[in-house]
Amino acid sequence: MSARVAVVGDPTSVAGFRPLGFAVFPVEVPAAARDLWAELAGGEYGVVFVTEPVYEAVKDLVRETADRPVPAVTVIPGAGSAGGVGQAKIDRAIERALGTTVPVREEEG
Amino acid sequence: MPAIRVNPNRMELLRLRTRGDVARRGHKLLKDKLDELMKEFLARIGANRRLRTEVERDLGIASGLLTVARAEAGSATLAQALMAGEPADLLITGEKHVMSVVVPVFEVAELPERGGYSFATTPAVLDGALERLADVAPKMIELAEREKAIELLAAEIERTRRRVNALEYVLIPQIVETVRDIQMKMDEAERGNLTRLMKVKEIIAAKEG
Repeated sequence: MSARVAVVGDPTSVAGFRPLGFAVFPVEVPAAARDLWAELAGGEYGVVFVTEPVYEAVKDLVRETADRPVPAVTVIPGAGSAGGVGQAKIDRAIERALGTTVPVREEEG
Repeated sequence: MPAIRVNPNRMELLRLRTRGDVARRGHKLLKDKLDELMKEFLARIGANRRLRTEVERDLGIASGLLTVARAEAGSATLAQALMAGEPADLLITGEKHVMSVVVPVFEVAELPERGGYSFATTPAVLDGALERLADVAPKMIELAEREKAIELLAAEIERTRRRVNALEYVLIPQIVETVRDIQMKMDEAERGNLTRLMKVKEIIAAKEG
């Protein structure tokens, strides 16, 4: 099955993705992404990338799709955001599974 | 652990023993499943952390280059240049079963040819920025696939652990306790019966004698 890739974020952060064939959804305010969510989660999009501020705004909606294989919602750092939100999201999943966070082992690999 | 309220008779005893056996078998199976899920999970998280760091770094660089391009060309020109391109079906999605968890598999179809903007009016650094983004795009999609798998596995691990714990600490002890209860009550009834018989025998013997 073929699917599209969506990027949601402030216009500056998502600008470069359009020439790559991504479906770009620029939002002026993060909360505006809530109105787009029905379309994004409808199944047409396999992967939805959201910038960190947008993720904070749609967190509860993302949780609803958490148990389905698609869409895979992934947090990317936007222009001018600190980063770390995406890793925190995964760390929470790890904590949920193991009951504890796993110390980073940098020497691996 | 309070025992289950049942009639202390042989029927219930047999039924509970069977239930106990089933519960123990189920517990063992689920525990094995949990161990295997854990193994799968732990193998994934290390690699994922590395990939995420890499993607975040590359995106930062690309976004920096775009900023430079914007500064050189002006945001209007850049916005116009970046209007080029149409949303395309970039992914072939599939599904894979990992320990009965359905995880998505994304295969990146061909990224569209870049261009469609004027090379004359846009700075060279824009090409570099877009190239950078094109390089990082497949990695982003791989990251999305891995993170989704991790989240789905995490949810399954949590569910499985709840079941294992419920069996281990609630259902099985309850059944064991109830079986013991029934046995004691039946033994007690048996002893009561025996003494009654002995007493009756004694009375009969006394009457006859």
